[in-house]
Amino acid sequence: MSAATQYYIATILVFICVDVIASWGLDIQFGVTGVLNFAYILFQAFGAYVAAVLSLGSSSANGGFQHYLVGLTLPFPLPILGAMLAGAGLAALVGLITLRRLRSDYQAMVMLVISVVATIVVTSSIGLFNGSAGLSLIPNPAFTWGSFSRQTQTWFFVGFCVACMLVVGLFMYALVYSPFGRLLRGVRENEAGIEAMGRSATRARLQVFVIGGALAALSGALLAEFIGAWAPSEWLYPETFVFFTAVIVGGRGSVSGVALGAALVGVGVQQAVQYLPIGSDPTVLAAMEWIITGLLTLAFLWVRPQGLLPERRRRLSRRTRPEMNATALEKAIGT
Amino acid sequence: MSEFVSALGFGVVTAAILAISAVGFTLQFSVTNVFNLAFGSVMTISGFVAYWLNQLGLDIWLAMGVAALCGGLLSLAINELIYGPFIRHGLNLFGMVIVTISVGLIADHSLQAVVGPSFFSYNAPAGKAVNLAGFVLTRQELIIIGIAIVLTGLVQVALQRTRTGRAMRGLSVNPALARGCGVPVRRVIAIAWFVSGVLAAVGGVALFLDISTFTATTGSEFLIVIIAAAVLGGVGSPRGAILGALVVGIVTEVGAAYWNPELKDVLAFGVLIVVLLVRPQGLFSQLATERALAR
Repeated sequence: MSAATQYYIATILVFICVDVIASWGLDIQFGVTGVLNFAYILFQAFGAYVAAVLSLGSSSANGGFQHYLVGLTLPFPLPILGAMLAGAGLAALVGLITLRRLRSDYQAMVMLVISVVATIVVTSSIGLFNGSAGLSLIPNPAFTWGSFSRQTQTWFFVGFCVACMLVVGLFMYALVYSPFGRLLRGVRENEAGIEAMGRSATRARLQVFVIGGALAALSGALLAEFIGAWAPSEWLYPETFVFFTAVIVGGRGSVSGVALGAALVGVGVQQAVQYLPIGSDPTVLAAMEWIITGLLTLAFLWVRPQGLLPERRRRLSRRTRPEMNATALEKAIGT
Repeated sequence: MSEFVSALGFGVVTAAILAISAVGFTLQFSVTNVFNLAFGSVMTISGFVAYWLNQLGLDIWLAMGVAALCGGLLSLAINELIYGPFIRHGLNLFGMVIVTISVGLIADHSLQAVVGPSFFSYNAPAGKAVNLAGFVLTRQELIIIGIAIVLTGLVQVALQRTRTGRAMRGLSVNPALARGCGVPVRRVIAIAWFVSGVLAAVGGVALFLDISTFTATTGSEFLIVIIAAAVLGGVGSPRGAILGALVVGIVTEVGAAYWNPELKDVLAFGVLIVVLLVRPQGLFSQLATERALAR
């Protein structure tokens, strides 16, 4: 296999891992709990930024051509862990502002607004985040692992991403099938019922906000370390929509479904567009990606709102009335 | 002082454009409860209709009139062909938000595929500058302000005085009761979508005239500011939307004069977030409860 083909495959694999992890984070919020977080991409971007500044070293390095805060050179897993912590922290902050008092449709709007504001602030404050130019030369940690060739080291990083994805996947299964997962589905389907049983729906929403924020940050950190650059124009608010599509196509609340959806929508659509007979004008290709993503969402919401691999409907036991559960679920998700 | 007055002048123009659009956005929302995030796309497409007519030599104000009709029909078509069927298919409120985003993305990027990524501008002179009590405004800006006053005033009067207007208000408060009283729900909803589209188109052309260059995504980018104005006034209240537009328009332009112009929208959003924290239902809305989709 030629070096270019190898790099192509490695890139696709890393993108799949990143998209799957990010979609799982959104799935906990939107799929399982029913929180409409239109600012989701913000947490991925923030994770990428934090991972970058924790590994880039002082901002006067390389002739000081880019400006940023902090600037440390932490050893390998620490920038990623720091990014997750920072993502969780930012999510807690945003969640505390938006989730406590606002009506849920206002929540969604305010998230959208926050996402847009964040982009404006980032692009116009050069001292903070180097403006619209973004950061570059973010070191890939795998390039310091042993004295192998770059190619081998790239594969090491792919392996690390896959390992991260597997760990997050196990965590997702554990979470979804735990009593906490049951609480979250309860918040989605019958908030009043959850409150009546003495549990706080707001608290549950805040918790998934933080968990999702950390996962988004993890995915952003992996992506930034792989491609070595970070620019705010890559994280505009419509990008969140790609993850929403992934969750809807895969199946809201279904761990394996969302993974499939993320691979298909996040990476599949982008690759498929290049084989369409529409020429190679980059504007048309990019536009086509969005059009296909939008059409996929509409098609799935119409034909198969439960997604490709639907969430398994849980029943109390054979002696209770199972049809109660099924219809309640259908009503709640609005299928 | 003169700097403040001229910033205020810009603010009033921005507020006028915002008011036209925000009233259209919120009127439709109050009747149907569909949070239409494709509103910005209707603005842009109508703006481009006016651009093409303008290129053919039509006067920009006549082109705006034709674009208004197109915008109304486009908005109506989107509801009849996409939103309506989805609502009757049983999609809930949040599902509909996702549907409207999808429609907006499809519309914007289809347009982008056709017109490309370049910048466009109308062929229309700004007109002589007029000095009104310290405000220096061009003839074009004065016409935009006049259109805003007339259109938002008309909507107010129509809502208060006409049968259809009363039916709209009835639908927004209690759809079931309105239906029970014999309100032709589907027709009133169709009218609301049409009016919303007309206002979107006029707002779009006015916006493109004001900022002078535009692309295939300008409308959707401005939509966030419209939403800020509408939410500030209390979503679903046309009177609130006008007030919200005034606050947002003036705060952003005055902020741009005294602070970083790139950060002017941040100010508007800051105001919005503070207001929502203090008064989660917006300034004017009395309704703070969850609402269902009108079918």
